[in-house]
Amino acid sequence: MNFNEFQNQSRLYVIGALEPEELEEFEKERKKFGKKAEDFITKCYALHEAFALSLRPAKASTAIKDRLMSMVKAKHQA
Amino acid sequence: MKPSKLVASTRPKPKKRVRLAKSGARSQPVLPQLEPGAPSDFDLMKGIQRGDPDALSQLYDRYNGILKALILRVIHNEAEADDLLQEIFMEIWNQAKNFSAQKGKPLGWMVTLARRRAIDGLRKKQAYARAEERLQNETEQQPDAWVHNATEEEIELSDTRRLIRKVIKSLPPPQQQAIDLAFFRGMSQREIAAKTNTPLGTVKTRLELGLKKIYDGLKELKDEL
Repeated sequence: MNFNEFQNQSRLYVIGALEPEELEEFEKERKKFGKKAEDFITKCYALHEAFALSLRPAKASTAIKDRLMSMVKAKHQA
Repeated sequence: MKPSKLVASTRPKPKKRVRLAKSGARSQPVLPQLEPGAPSDFDLMKGIQRGDPDALSQLYDRYNGILKALILRVIHNEAEADDLLQEIFMEIWNQAKNFSAQKGKPLGWMVTLARRRAIDGLRKKQAYARAEERLQNETEQQPDAWVHNATEEEIELSDTRRLIRKVIKSLPPPQQQAIDLAFFRGMSQREIAAKTNTPLGTVKTRLELGLKKIYDGLKELKDEL
């Protein structure tokens, strides 16, 4: 696999779309390409952020934040 | 184009309107800018790592709308989405020590975490079949619902969102659908092939081409994404 092919696979990898046999091969190539591979995979995670930002924000129930902060504060004080 | 505004989100409005940058020209900011003096997302993550509940509160105010939209896109249930949103912010609080600024931005980390939890939640609650049925109906009625589920008149888009949607809209519908099923449904290539009655190789090609186009499009926005 050349690096261009690895890049294609990386984009599939970050969205969890690699099939098991492809994943095995991908991990081998990932080791082979080392830091260059890790840097590229990190960049690919920007796709996650982009997909989330492409959606219209939804309104959460106001009670959710109150419940969350009560739990966090209780845990923080424990 | 109508003036843009974030809907149901407490994120500050951008100070400037921005346009999709052409190659070599991306001097303008893309994500909405924070108020002067407001802590950055990285500052808030550091606060959470130190155990400051106020930092989590601010991060929640900034991103609950985006994360809930993502969860809803996966599980299609308002009450479950709220519960999951709470669990996810609790996990952000508990797992903040695992966040590393070298591996990306806080929003990316949170989205990755939220997506995984939402897809896990979908499967655990055995609502998959029901959601599949709903998705099937959606797909039949609105093949490209991901990007065309409302008109621009109905939604006032933030600048950032509008730019990203523009990139996504530029893809052929089959590529959009393949990416939608993989990202928001957690489907494998084989599952997508079976669902859409498409050869596996075609699904792979659609995913590769579509993701590459989006990735390349986002390069124009890379200072912010």
